[in-house]
Amino acid sequence: MTTPLELDDIQGLVTRGYRTLTSACFLVLATAGPAATARAALGRLAPRVTNGRSDPPDTAVNVALTADGLRRLGLEPPELDGFPYEFVVGMTDPDRSRFLGDVGENAPRHWRWGGPAGPPAHVLVMLYARDGQQLRQLEAETRREVLVPGAFTETARLGTAELTDREPFGFRDGISQPLIEGLPKAALAASAAGDGGTDGEQVVRAGEFVLGYPNEYGLLTDRPLLPTRHDPLGVLPRAPEGGADFGRNGSYLVFRQLRQDVEAFRDYLDAETRRPDGSSDPAAQEALAARMVGRWPGGAPLVRAPEHDDPALATDNGFGYHATDPAGLRCPLGAHIRRANPRDSLDPRPGSADSVAVGRRHRLLRRGRPYGPDGTGDGPDAHGLHFLALNANISRQFEFIQHTWLDNPNFNGLHDGPDPIVAPRQERRTTFTEQGRPFRTRHIGLPQFVTVQGGAYFFLPGLKALHYLCTAVPEGGRQ
Amino acid sequence: MPYQTAVTVQAALPPDRVAEVRELLHEAGRKSAAGELFPFAEIPGVHFARVVLVPEGPGGAPADMPPSVVYMSEVDGPVEAHLADLVRTAGDGLDRVFGHCAGYPAAGSPDAARIDWLRAHEVPCAAFYVNTVGRGRQQIEQEALLREVIEEFLDRNGPALAGRSPVEIRTAVQDYVGGREDLAWARTGPAPPPLGGRIRRAAHLVGVPLAAVGLLPLLLSALPAWVVLLRLHERRDVPDHARPSHDRIRELAACEDFVAQNPFTAVGSVKTGPFRRITLTAVLFVVDYGVRHVFDRGNLAGVKTIHFARWLFIDGKRRVIFASNYDGSLESYMDDFIDKVAWGLNAVFSNGRGYPRVRWLVLDGARDEQAFKNYLRCHQVPTQVWYSAYDTSTAHDLDTNARIRAGLFGDLGPAETEAWLALF
Repeated sequence: MTTPLELDDIQGLVTRGYRTLTSACFLVLATAGPAATARAALGRLAPRVTNGRSDPPDTAVNVALTADGLRRLGLEPPELDGFPYEFVVGMTDPDRSRFLGDVGENAPRHWRWGGPAGPPAHVLVMLYARDGQQLRQLEAETRREVLVPGAFTETARLGTAELTDREPFGFRDGISQPLIEGLPKAALAASAAGDGGTDGEQVVRAGEFVLGYPNEYGLLTDRPLLPTRHDPLGVLPRAPEGGADFGRNGSYLVFRQLRQDVEAFRDYLDAETRRPDGSSDPAAQEALAARMVGRWPGGAPLVRAPEHDDPALATDNGFGYHATDPAGLRCPLGAHIRRANPRDSLDPRPGSADSVAVGRRHRLLRRGRPYGPDGTGDGPDAHGLHFLALNANISRQFEFIQHTWLDNPNFNGLHDGPDPIVAPRQERRTTFTEQGRPFRTRHIGLPQFVTVQGGAYFFLPGLKALHYLCTAVPEGGRQ
Repeated sequence: MPYQTAVTVQAALPPDRVAEVRELLHEAGRKSAAGELFPFAEIPGVHFARVVLVPEGPGGAPADMPPSVVYMSEVDGPVEAHLADLVRTAGDGLDRVFGHCAGYPAAGSPDAARIDWLRAHEVPCAAFYVNTVGRGRQQIEQEALLREVIEEFLDRNGPALAGRSPVEIRTAVQDYVGGREDLAWARTGPAPPPLGGRIRRAAHLVGVPLAAVGLLPLLLSALPAWVVLLRLHERRDVPDHARPSHDRIRELAACEDFVAQNPFTAVGSVKTGPFRRITLTAVLFVVDYGVRHVFDRGNLAGVKTIHFARWLFIDGKRRVIFASNYDGSLESYMDDFIDKVAWGLNAVFSNGRGYPRVRWLVLDGARDEQAFKNYLRCHQVPTQVWYSAYDTSTAHDLDTNARIRAGLFGDLGPAETEAWLALF
């Protein structure tokens, strides 16, 4: 029933997060001349690109392009119209900005890169290595290949911090990931589910993350199909619907540079939890932070460990909310993880398999890396997260989660409570409510802790599509 | 408690005026200019209102299905009173929009002439869904205020109240609200709806099933033939695989996602021939009964985010307008349709041209996610002018506020008192 994944053609970032390659950086490139020169330069890099089968011991390279980048390399309308609207207009289109909450401090005009005021973003090269020295070497080699005159210029270098299991606010991160059906981990979880575990609920159909495979509706997500005459050499696979399948084995990469104001976060927690005598209360600070996140700093979920952190539950992910905590008494309804992945807590019929099934249509593969403090140009002391997420349908997955779950002040019956951690504070008051008995506690007027500093929607092509783009795309997009 | 009314005024637009009116509506709808041409906020009892441009029908002669301009609003009380208020408050806007239409009273005509003209261009709804029948705008505003007052009371007195029992806490809230003259209305429930309306409602509730029972032999004998015809038609259907152009999506997206709710307006052509016209009429008759008497308390067959929705025929039943006001984004609205009420959507929209293939009137159809979303985007028209009277309140908010009011002075047991406190 499951279509086997073409791992040789899928980029490695889809199948793994390279957690053993703890050094990483992202190069944002802009074309600097004619399409042919840029294509040739990218073509020199293409053989290095890591596929989904290999488990690279030392270094990995992945490549993605914005809609502008595809255009610069010669893919033109109407071919480009086969891509979804959100991708083609890009993350900084004014309607998308309003939708994503990228207004005020978060507005693209303030961004370091990707915004209208900053340098353009056409190609993203993601470099991963086992240590800093290998990364420097990989970076140097990459630059030699692509930064040739008339091909590309580097418009931003986005460095990362050494990968640990903590994000800058001090919480264990990356615990909950959807498992792609067809990969070994998913098979393992599915068999565990047969034994009564709930990990099987994390298994999501491959088509939610990789184009060309059935999604959670059992259907193929729309993808760019080119007229076959544009691919006379047959570089691209042929789609069952007809046409040369430029999208197959590709994915959409959502990249957002999120600055985390660690000091403001700590200050807020301190001010909000002072004892009556005015002294600080570290335990209360940690408890409030945990209730805003939904997990303790060590990772234990509040729904399982409501009173204190529990190392035994550090990576626990096999839980729902409805059976033990429908009203949010353990894990507040507005907590970050309860809205980024509501599991079984929303309609239809919370607690049911249908509720979980609807949730599976709104999942992301997270591939983010924390940064700072280092030379990212984002202030010497800046910390944050390079948020990278993969999905097949930007509108139904990333944008839905951002708008309908995270930023939505009315999420799950709340009234004025957007995500206490990551949501922008707009004109409306931001309240964090801790549900309780006999009645709730409200924290009114939360400051903003996370600010968007850059971002773009990228297409992470399959390797054949990348090869086609570098070598076979007809001059000027047509013949 | 007033009953809510759907007002629809539609007038054909000479094709050479379409561009001008589109530009006018675009200007009137700009967020910075909101309310200048149509000061809906000043008209009592308006919940939502919109002015849209409906394009001419596909393929047909313009005379059959001409472009038109359509005013729609959801208001408290009878249509006559609303139109009089509308003409008095937004006469200038009406003149500038409808002034392009045939027969509209000349400048300087008395208001009565305008009202008569609008009434002559009213279009009845085939079905009209109201989230909570009888909940008027004044009640909505009062209950939102009541909630905020109690929330602030709880915040102020949090430490003092925290150790007390739920019953004691509610008593403290009662004492506080009871002591405020400006909240005197909260001591009782909302007044019942007008008697005449209640009688008509009850008569409809009973009368329709009675008539149906009378007609049952006829309906049953027609059923086999209808089923055969349905399947024959469904096999011959031609789904439209068009994707909406990016320009079209841009035009639609520019009108969306400013506040807690969004408007949705779509126009579709009924498939040709009497079979589909009769089927759709019958389906909408059933929908009308369902939304009046079954889905009249905050839940449209599992979808709880819709404030109002209406279905109406235009152009001699050759086309249908669907218009609604819903919470959240179009993406989440469409996902709700697919996940929760695909059968209902199919029963109505499968009678429309180009809809994804349906079997047995209710199966498949909307379950083809992207085909369905493309179909909706292709048939949606931009809601250029749109007004919401309570644009930060979701239907869930309104329901919570109403429960808070209902439980404040009501007779509650200990468990109910705890549940009431959990509403905050």
